[in-house]
Amino acid sequence: MDITAEFVAEGLRRARYITNERVETAIFLALALDKPLLIEGPAGSGKTEVAKVLAEILHTELIRLQCYEGLDEARALYEWNYQKQLLRLQADEHQGLRWEELSEHLFSREYLLERPLLKAISTPRKAVLLIDEIDKADEEFEAFLLELLSDFQVSVPELGTLRAIERPAVVLTSNRARELSEALRRRCLHLFIDFPGIEQERRIIELKVPELDARMAAEAARLVNALRKLDLKKPPSIAETLDWARALVRLGIKELDTPTLRATLGVLLKHEDDRTRVETKAASLAGRAR
Amino acid sequence: MSTMRDALLGFIAELRAAAVRISVAESMDAMRAVAAAGLTRTRMREALAATLIKDEADRVVFDEVYSRYFGGARPARGAPHRSKQARAGVHGAGGADDAGASSAPPARQNDAARGVDPAPRQPKGGASAPSGAEAPPEAAREPAASAADSLVDEAEPRPAGLEAGHSTRMRAAERVPFSQYSDLEYEAAHQALAALKRRFRVRLSRRLRLAKVGRIDFRRTIRAAIQHGGAFADLRFRSRRQRHIDLVVLADVSGSVRYAASLMLELVAGARECFHKVRSFVYVDRMADADFERGHLVMAPPLDLYAKSDFGRVLSQLWERRSTLLNRATVLVILGDGRNNRRPSRADLLRDIGRICRAVIWLNPEDSARWGTGDSAIAQYGRAVDALLSCQNLHELEHNLSRVT
Repeated sequence: MDITAEFVAEGLRRARYITNERVETAIFLALALDKPLLIEGPAGSGKTEVAKVLAEILHTELIRLQCYEGLDEARALYEWNYQKQLLRLQADEHQGLRWEELSEHLFSREYLLERPLLKAISTPRKAVLLIDEIDKADEEFEAFLLELLSDFQVSVPELGTLRAIERPAVVLTSNRARELSEALRRRCLHLFIDFPGIEQERRIIELKVPELDARMAAEAARLVNALRKLDLKKPPSIAETLDWARALVRLGIKELDTPTLRATLGVLLKHEDDRTRVETKAASLAGRAR
Repeated sequence: MSTMRDALLGFIAELRAAAVRISVAESMDAMRAVAAAGLTRTRMREALAATLIKDEADRVVFDEVYSRYFGGARPARGAPHRSKQARAGVHGAGGADDAGASSAPPARQNDAARGVDPAPRQPKGGASAPSGAEAPPEAAREPAASAADSLVDEAEPRPAGLEAGHSTRMRAAERVPFSQYSDLEYEAAHQALAALKRRFRVRLSRRLRLAKVGRIDFRRTIRAAIQHGGAFADLRFRSRRQRHIDLVVLADVSGSVRYAASLMLELVAGARECFHKVRSFVYVDRMADADFERGHLVMAPPLDLYAKSDFGRVLSQLWERRSTLLNRATVLVILGDGRNNRRPSRADLLRDIGRICRAVIWLNPEDSARWGTGDSAIAQYGRAVDALLSCQNLHELEHNLSRVT
């Protein structure tokens, strides 16, 4: 599989992920230079999708590590299956085995609970490792991750050093809830996925919600774009646009008028303040969408 | 080859001059990226952006420096482009490229006008350009879509997306020095404050987690206990939920300092849960209780903002109330420029106060070059406190506050 920019672009097209050249180039570089890719951007803009699509392009598995506050090494890397080891010990009690033989059994891969990071290191084929919402994890986890990302090897005291046979393609996503450390930023290639433009959004709606006719799709794209220009607490992302498009299909709506907009606003806007603000402007927005 | 490298190095130097921090490792990545990505204009630009820009707020600067350095849609005069074209490999004879460019379908010409294609950058010498040969196969693929793309992308503002522009503005608002504040800048800073409040809170609460003493952190203790078969042999602690600090904030609301004072009070009000107790006060020539009600600063009793500052009097008022306000757990944060209209500074009182409290910190939003000039008594006050820190903008204010508390 020869990694070229065209190969990546073609793969994205086949996986039905519509995007711009910036995203294509970043993904291509992440593969070509073998560097992790840090994707930032507003919620719902398709950051996690990139990793899924990348796994599709490379015909490989996606290993996902969802980060949260308090995530530690044990939960992310590996743990010994203590219960199983204990059971084995009790079962072997009668056999009077020597410690050397016993420990050989007990501390083997069989009793090792592989968490996502170790799984990513151990797969024989190149996998895609998605570290989702790294900004939710804390600084000590980031430091640990940094070490892992540079060497891709892990020392398990009982088993020795496990090295990655094939370094996985790493994708990190962040919602910018907090600032990531400089060191991590510099280690990765940076990609910012912003809200799409009107034309791109229209194409995405047409592709993902084909039941909605082309005119409605264009109107929807224009309207959502206008919404984003308002000063909202949480501007609608492409995920919400698609939900809304599907809602319009479900409700059998053929015209985008003010009452329709008011009724379906809850699909697009998730804050009460935003909804009240937009409701007052609903008439002018619906009119503009024509 | 080396001319391209020199060109890139020059570009990186320009970026650094524009206050974008780029490490050596990143500049090497950039070279490798450009070598890998191929050299159409947008590809090269995105390749450089992905390796050099690690914060979207810098993207605007990057785009501006890029268009300045590598030229716009007009044919480039610079040598770097010529060698790049040469290095990209010959895709067709020079003559064919000219013909290809002129006979390109309308879609391609749109792109050319926009500067996406390197076609306009064909050097006069007629060396090869990849665009000529690229145009036919690309055009064959999706001519309609790309035409629509180019037209639409023209219509929409490039390059900063909506979210990216927003974050750039926020970051810029944080760095405006207080001395340049007017109501306009204050409004902008106020908007940036929301994100800052969150950051402030997160910074404070993070230090609460790991500790050698304090309350037992059950989750981590149980986790550690798994290795010991469930026996709690290894206790993990977190320090108390609220740091045992009584925060007393005293802010100068006269003149130009009032913007900084207002922002600091709001910031502290947002992080109330992180402290044991928080009391806020403002002063001009005397002290008043301050509260944030629905986004507005409310003073009790109301102060005359145009009175002449008298911090000495404020200190004696504070000293009188010391039994209710100050104790061993108090951290007193004073925000002011220390200008006292040549009235007695009473720095001795400040020293006495410092002895009762845990710590006294002075944050000075005035430009440090002006400290000690005119009626500034900051030198005397500075000697009486535990730390005197300069806070020139919102960013520094938040940073210093989180450090001292």
